[in-house]
Amino acid sequence: MEQSLRVKVNGQAVKREVPPRLTLADFLRDRLRLTGTHLGCEHGVCGACTVLLDGDAVRACLLLAVQADGREVTTVEGMGEPGRLTPLQRAFLEHGAFQCGFCTPGFLATGEALLRSGRRLSRAELPDLLAGNLCRCTGYGPIVDAILEAAGSR
Amino acid sequence: MKAGSDAEELLVRGQGDFLADLHLDALEACFVRSPYPHARVQSISLPGGRGLTGAQLARLAGPLRVDGPGLKAVPWWPLAVEKVRFVGEAVAVVWAEDRYLAEDLADETEVDYEPIPAGPLHEEAPDGVLYESRREGGDFEAAFGRAARVLERTFKTARQTPLPLEARGVVARWDGAAGRLTVWTSTQVPNLVRTVLASSLQLAEGDVRVIVPVVGGGFGLKAHVFPEELAVAALARHLGRTVRWVEDRRENLLASAHAHEETVRLRLALDDQGHFLAVDAEVSCDVGAYSVFPFSASLEPVTTGQTLFGPYALEAFRLHASGLASSKCPAGAYRGVGMNAAAFATERMVDIAARELGLDPLELRRRNAIREFPTVTAAGRELDSGDYLGLLGRLDAPYRELRRQQAEARREGRLFGIGVGFFNEHSGTGASEYQTRGITTIPGVDSARVRVGEEGTIEIATGGADAGQGHAETYRLLAARELGVAAEKVVVFEGDTDACPPGSGTFVSRGAVGGLTALTEALREVAEKDLAPGLEVTRVVDPKQVFPSGAHLAAVEVDPLGLNPRVIRYLAVEDCGVVVNERAAEAQVRGGVAMGMGGVLLEEIRYSEDGQPLASTLLDYLVPLAPDVPEIEIEHQESPSPLTALGSKGVGEAGTIGAFAAVANAVADAVQAELNELPCSPDRIFHLRRS
Repeated sequence: MEQSLRVKVNGQAVKREVPPRLTLADFLRDRLRLTGTHLGCEHGVCGACTVLLDGDAVRACLLLAVQADGREVTTVEGMGEPGRLTPLQRAFLEHGAFQCGFCTPGFLATGEALLRSGRRLSRAELPDLLAGNLCRCTGYGPIVDAILEAAGSR
Repeated sequence: MKAGSDAEELLVRGQGDFLADLHLDALEACFVRSPYPHARVQSISLPGGRGLTGAQLARLAGPLRVDGPGLKAVPWWPLAVEKVRFVGEAVAVVWAEDRYLAEDLADETEVDYEPIPAGPLHEEAPDGVLYESRREGGDFEAAFGRAARVLERTFKTARQTPLPLEARGVVARWDGAAGRLTVWTSTQVPNLVRTVLASSLQLAEGDVRVIVPVVGGGFGLKAHVFPEELAVAALARHLGRTVRWVEDRRENLLASAHAHEETVRLRLALDDQGHFLAVDAEVSCDVGAYSVFPFSASLEPVTTGQTLFGPYALEAFRLHASGLASSKCPAGAYRGVGMNAAAFATERMVDIAARELGLDPLELRRRNAIREFPTVTAAGRELDSGDYLGLLGRLDAPYRELRRQQAEARREGRLFGIGVGFFNEHSGTGASEYQTRGITTIPGVDSARVRVGEEGTIEIATGGADAGQGHAETYRLLAARELGVAAEKVVVFEGDTDACPPGSGTFVSRGAVGGLTALTEALREVAEKDLAPGLEVTRVVDPKQVFPSGAHLAAVEVDPLGLNPRVIRYLAVEDCGVVVNERAAEAQVRGGVAMGMGGVLLEEIRYSEDGQPLASTLLDYLVPLAPDVPEIEIEHQESPSPLTALGSKGVGEAGTIGAFAAVANAVADAVQAELNELPCSPDRIFHLRRS
């Protein structure tokens, strides 16, 4: 039995019939073909699937698609365009804040939520705020640098 | 993968095509996995027409098997045939239109197991020994005979898993009309996958094409050929359909490949001046249920044996190395491989010796470091280049500064420790070295092709496979330098066996050894000619092992209540020969050090006594998070290798190897205890301090 879902994704209204057990991550990836949201663990630890739900960073693997009904989702595909990257994306490129790039969309979502929160970000405190996202390549330093730079440019 | 200058921008926009992002209209496969560590498979009841058992699949694809000196060649079938040998081993495969339905079918599958309480895992190895070797160099008896002192200790490293953030995945498509198989797989070794698929499915190699999408980290895990790759390909041919399998994290933790579970017993003979005379080493590794392909059960024990006391001058060396089977996930390559355990055991032993002799640890290292290059060591290693005193000299000032801080911290009652990790490692193992070891499953050569395209573009194709190292950027820099063209004009192709020259793939830091040598030679030959469209040069190189080295310095503070060790300062002095691309090299060091910190402080897959794995989620298997990794200071010392075209020696694993030694020594120093077993978890520290 499917349920109706109305959700705004990256600014566009979307209406679909979905099975209640479909996760938000699989809805984005398989039904909308927005494959920038990556699945690293599917149990809410690695943060690779982090997206913005009404502006808050959430894990798309732990939400059902139907829980997003009536709400607004922003994925990495909604964060910048070819040649017109967001300041955070530019900072990621400049600082080498990724190697394989698999965790990157999740970090961008977490970082974007932090930047939009308006809180002051310090080098001492930021690593703790990023503890919900795993990266196996970079050792995190360049990611911290990139987010701080983007925060400074606001 | 085709990497142009916009590849990085695609990744930061989430547009990199990782395996699970490819739209290939595929059926979804799901594996039914054993909950028993050792059991006979009595019967399997599959949902009608939507599954295959191990016995059925065995008629469609042959097993993985590695033979060689000292090895027991045990078959590893795509799916378990008569019995299972570890929790997580696949016994059947089912398929459906989507993953949810396929998982439903897997849940509906009924398997009747008869647990086997005791007895050997493999008939071919009744004693459980899958690999064994002995080696001796120098006059061992004489060296031990004149020792003023002999120290003996046993060191243990934890069972780990590489945990790339993207797990494994395979898509296979069978073109019946052409009799051709195309396989997309998240691998570091595309040519090897092609060779093995062809022989397992009895196809000509030319009828198999392997394509590597963007790879979300490898760290050695994806340098193997896995049973699932064979199973998915066989299934695609059987069904005449495109079939996809995307591994989930639970499968990845239980049943991909583990690594590093070792016991290293060392006896060190010293003279009365603190000079190391000889080492007697007993290395035994728990290699799990099967001998991994292509490296085999010899991988971890051999690399540890080769690396023990690597940077130190010894008169004699004796090694007994073994790989022992167990009802656990097979153990394979993970960044640093056995070199991590070797550096850990060696450098802990050196600190213990310094303490026993009342010498400063840095001074004891200086006293024993190899001073002349090239040289052949007592263990038979042909060191091509190095400046080991130079490395240690660069630690001197920060080391003294940290000792001052430590004295102050200790006055305040704080647990503050300093550790040095001094090591060398081998990289770029080539065909002849593998053949000497009797390993015929690894090609060992590296290749590059340079072609001048229309409108003067330079097309580079290699036998490597990028998993985030940034090959394309390095190749473009090099091409621009050698040919005097704009980097934007250079296009890089890797990871497509139809489009690239055959090579070994990317592991053992071979990219900067054989890979860059092949590419540089090809570029230089092209540079001598007229850059006319169609001009093409291919180079294939059989690299000789070279020896990067390093000296790392870590400071650790352990909080007295929770006993959580925290790395507060880290300096890595690297000698990877000539640095070709500084940004890429530093990224490798930084990431490698973070992984090494994980190995020392956090990462561990434990099994219960009855063979159940105790880490099946990322809440159980802990890896470093952002707050765990301090800023990593990096210095380069360049002693060029005479054996590579650019003098480069590779830097993919050095960070991890050094951290295994430096961080462990720092924790031991902080808590003033002989911490000889990893990980240095709070509970281990607690028990050591109480005893």
